Amino acid sequence: MTATPDDAIAASPLEDYRHRVTTRPGGRDGAEVPDEVFRAGGASQDLVAAAVGALGMSGLLTARAEARRLIDADGIRYGAAEDGGQARDWIVDPLPVVLGSAEWLSLERSLEQRALVLDAVLGDLYGARTLLRRGVVPPEVVLGHPGFLRQADGIRLPGRRQLVLTGTDLGRDSDGNWVAFGDRLGAPSGAGYAMATRRITSRLLPGLHRSTRLARMRPFFHTMTHALREAAPVGVHNPQVVLLSPGSGSETAYDQSFLATLLGFPLVEAEDLVVREGRVWIRSTNRSDAVDVVLRRVDADFADPLELRPDSRLGLPGLLEASRRGTVAVANPLGAGVLENPGVAHFLPAVSRALFGEEPALPGASSYWCGDPAERSHVLAHLQELVIKPIARGRSISARPGWELTAEERELTRRRIEAEPWAWVAQEPLTMSTVPVVTPHGLESRRFVLRTFGVARGEGYHFLPGGLGRVAPDEASYLIANAAGALAKDVWVLASDETGTSWSDDRLLDLRPPLASEDAAALAPRAASALYWVGRYAERAEATARVIRVVDDLVEDHASWPGTPGAAAVQVMVDGLLAMTSTTGRSGAEPPDQVLRRLVGDQRRPGSVAFAVAGLVRGAQDVRDHLSYDIWHVLNRIERALDDEPAEDRPLQPQLYRVLESMLAVHGVIAENMVRDESWGYLDGGLRLERALLTTALVRAAVAQERPPIIDGQVTEAALEACDSIITHRRRVATGEGPAWPVHSAVELLLRDPANPRSVAFSVERLVERFQLIGAPVLAAEGAELLALFRDMDVDRLCADDRSGLLAACDQVTQSLRGMSDRLTASHFRRKPTQQVVPADWAVARIGDT
Amino acid sequence: MQTDDDFGPRRYQVRHRTTYTYSDDVTGCYERGFLAPRATPAQRVVSNDVRIVPEPDLVATHVDHFGNRSYYVEVRTDHRVLEVEKTSIIEVDRPRPDLDALDRWTVADAAEWARVAADPVLRVDHLLPTTLVSHDDEVRSYAAAILPPDRPLGQALRGLVGTLHRDFTYRSGATTVRTTLPELLSQRAGVCQDFAHLALGCLRSVGLPARYVSGYLETTPPPGAERLEGADASHAWASVLVPGPAAGTWVDLDPTNDQVADSRYLVTAWGRDFRDVSPLKGVVFTEAATSTLEVGVDVVRLDA
Repeated sequence: MTATPDDAIAASPLEDYRHRVTTRPGGRDGAEVPDEVFRAGGASQDLVAAAVGALGMSGLLTARAEARRLIDADGIRYGAAEDGGQARDWIVDPLPVVLGSAEWLSLERSLEQRALVLDAVLGDLYGARTLLRRGVVPPEVVLGHPGFLRQADGIRLPGRRQLVLTGTDLGRDSDGNWVAFGDRLGAPSGAGYAMATRRITSRLLPGLHRSTRLARMRPFFHTMTHALREAAPVGVHNPQVVLLSPGSGSETAYDQSFLATLLGFPLVEAEDLVVREGRVWIRSTNRSDAVDVVLRRVDADFADPLELRPDSRLGLPGLLEASRRGTVAVANPLGAGVLENPGVAHFLPAVSRALFGEEPALPGASSYWCGDPAERSHVLAHLQELVIKPIARGRSISARPGWELTAEERELTRRRIEAEPWAWVAQEPLTMSTVPVVTPHGLESRRFVLRTFGVARGEGYHFLPGGLGRVAPDEASYLIANAAGALAKDVWVLASDETGTSWSDDRLLDLRPPLASEDAAALAPRAASALYWVGRYAERAEATARVIRVVDDLVEDHASWPGTPGAAAVQVMVDGLLAMTSTTGRSGAEPPDQVLRRLVGDQRRPGSVAFAVAGLVRGAQDVRDHLSYDIWHVLNRIERALDDEPAEDRPLQPQLYRVLESMLAVHGVIAENMVRDESWGYLDGGLRLERALLTTALVRAAVAQERPPIIDGQVTEAALEACDSIITHRRRVATGEGPAWPVHSAVELLLRDPANPRSVAFSVERLVERFQLIGAPVLAAEGAELLALFRDMDVDRLCADDRSGLLAACDQVTQSLRGMSDRLTASHFRRKPTQQVVPADWAVARIGDT
Repeated sequence: MQTDDDFGPRRYQVRHRTTYTYSDDVTGCYERGFLAPRATPAQRVVSNDVRIVPEPDLVATHVDHFGNRSYYVEVRTDHRVLEVEKTSIIEVDRPRPDLDALDRWTVADAAEWARVAADPVLRVDHLLPTTLVSHDDEVRSYAAAILPPDRPLGQALRGLVGTLHRDFTYRSGATTVRTTLPELLSQRAGVCQDFAHLALGCLRSVGLPARYVSGYLETTPPPGAERLEGADASHAWASVLVPGPAAGTWVDLDPTNDQVADSRYLVTAWGRDFRDVSPLKGVVFTEAATSTLEVGVDVVRLDA
């Protein structure tokens, strides 16, 4: 057989890609478009060729699918679930972009120089403003920018640098040189996504990742942890740093919580903090921890409703005053967002010359400031060729490529520029290099942007090797934004002696907290409550599934024989299950197997397994930074198992087994992977309380009522089986150790046996210990009293006659457990009262474009 | 009518009491405001006393971006009533500005002088539009008629104050904090804050740096009537930067009362618009369904 040219291309995806990029037209201005793989001196070619060669196109597509699976399992998401938007899975292309160590080292030095200039600008703008007075930067560019917060005037961080964190977007020009075309300096995001992306690709290409000497990412996060601790006010010995998040509904919630985990700092929301006597504290029931450093991910204008946006629910009143008083360091400082300003970027070279006598080694995009009459007329004459940017991004005004504007929009832009020329900058479009991405049509080229991350430490800045690579969603597009569907690219920097390799392997999540657990931050009520409910829902899901499994067995055996004792037992157990899960209103006509199906999969039905799992997942998302990373895989498996609803004519058991298997894994993660600290105390306390409640409910429903012996026997055995105690029961009966009557045995094993981990007494004993751990001595004493009740129980008497004694005992236990939960909620989960603004008029003040 | 006697040394006591009443307990209260008069060349603060009930956990002050002394108050004692009272003794000696002398320059000259000679940060801070002082076309065209480039500066300023006073009716409740300048221009009624904001919009749109001044004005009861306790109110006016020695001179204009400021005008703070100098604003934590705000101001002349 002779190969046709088409076959040859298909056999070599990289040659096919080379063909694509060498035969394509040039960039917008006809200039050559560099490609990361094929550009002269590029470091990508060998490694990308190795990856493509090893996997072939079908292997790459499998890797792409595997990436999606891993991302789904890890729960890596982007986008706001609130505001009607939809959080979507992060998307990673399997092929990394590779930078040589020499290129990276030189880029790092240039980035550091840029960071030092930006730091000097920030210090000056909130201090002497010499740059404005001397006209190095026209005052309008700063004073007319909404990110310039006059309220923050005069506030200085105690450390050497005012700009603690940097984020800079880079692209290549047609000569292949890096150009900085945007800075993210208010509250830079994405370092967590970069690390998450690395973890994905290292699993997709394990061999290549292992055999390549890469500059690892982990050390950067260690540096960041230290740098943030060192940013604390002078004289603080063991600084407490928190990551202040807008909440789990925020666009970059995953990035925030993963970063908090990487850095070893608690993730908090405004609800968790309070300002007292001009200092920031973590709100906690038992103790008060002062906060010394706030790693801020809440936008500046939302950070303090007292002085900034009064309608903000994401901020902390008094935060600005605390930073003014120097009791807390906010990083980046409130007001740093003024540097995210193409007007400031335009004047950076002038600043660099004026302050340091240096030319910037890293060029910015060549731009024109319309406040200058000559530059303005150039811009107005070339609107169609330039990217038009307002100095402040706003809701109604954003950067637009001039060539995409309609004649009408162009005219509107012209008028806006003429009305407020100082507020506009125009940039020459950047060529931007391309990279291959894996698609079903082969390797396609996409424009590539690199976001770099830096942190100030000591004399200079340290950078994450590489950074977060992102590519446009399609071949033609220049617009690269996560919101527009951008794909992430892992960026590999080849190691050299200077970039250093390190013991730390990026694939392993070395999540040992940098602090000893006794130094762990106080737990705020919001997190405590979420952990408690994670425990309760976890147990509820498991216990419900266990009982359903047993009842389903009974249904299989007996449901088709109405009038038999078996059918009666089914009826008792179904009713018991409904009572236990507090689901009422079962229509009489509904066959038992339908009831069971709905109790497994109907997420809207309170009491169902799916409902409990949804509560568990939601709670876990709110306290991501307290949980083992492994839990996400397990939760993901449960969700999948619940999604695979068996058809009506298929048995329920296989699904139940899958759910139960994963639930056991959840318990395993909680039992084996969590440090025995306060967080675990709340979680396991919730779990124990729920188990005690549900077991009591089951005993009450199954045993606490006299029935004909043949039914009684079946029901009691079912209850014992649901609580995994049937084997012990049979063994004890066989050896004559325990009571011979199943009912006596059930009461013994399920209620009062302190050695059976499924018994109520065992659970209450653990609960008492957890109450002690979380600092609730009064509740612990109450639990101890309840324990005494079990000790003094006379099983014979409880099971005598009509078992009304047992019924009363069950009710007493239930009431006592509910009371403890209520009192715990009142004392340990207290929310802040509603935040109001006075006078109310202040709250309705008009908010401009921000 | 303003007389020469209104310029010249005087001594005042100003008492300003703000009372918030809530229908339920407030468990945390954070306030920011201007609880002391500003010291100026024409105004000396003899004493200032701030009384807050319940006892605050912290009272702190700092000098803000505009040079005002700003107060931070934290009250964490549960309360349903918060009372903030300041009592200031102030000596004022404000000379009458010589508007005729300003006729040496035209409006355009003054704008050019500001561009070249004024402190760049001060100038730009007080020329750019703000949330409450926009430079919409309506404002520009209204200003263009009163402040044409070739009009002598003194006449132009006098004209601005007079025209605003003539064109607009003082009516409380006519506007809210959300009223825009174009809305104000079409409804032709407002309070002193609106008069001041519009004056600022006019001045800035022709290139004259101008600031919003918040303070008090001594009012005289009608002949024969007794002064009513607490009947005075806060006042607001505009101040414009005109050519003068060194960095220029600020001239205070009161369009609400059709006059320049005299010694009866007591300054608390200044900024770009009302939002920079809001007298007292707060964030409270409470489940209270309703709250009421009561303000009482007394401006009493001590040396009359």
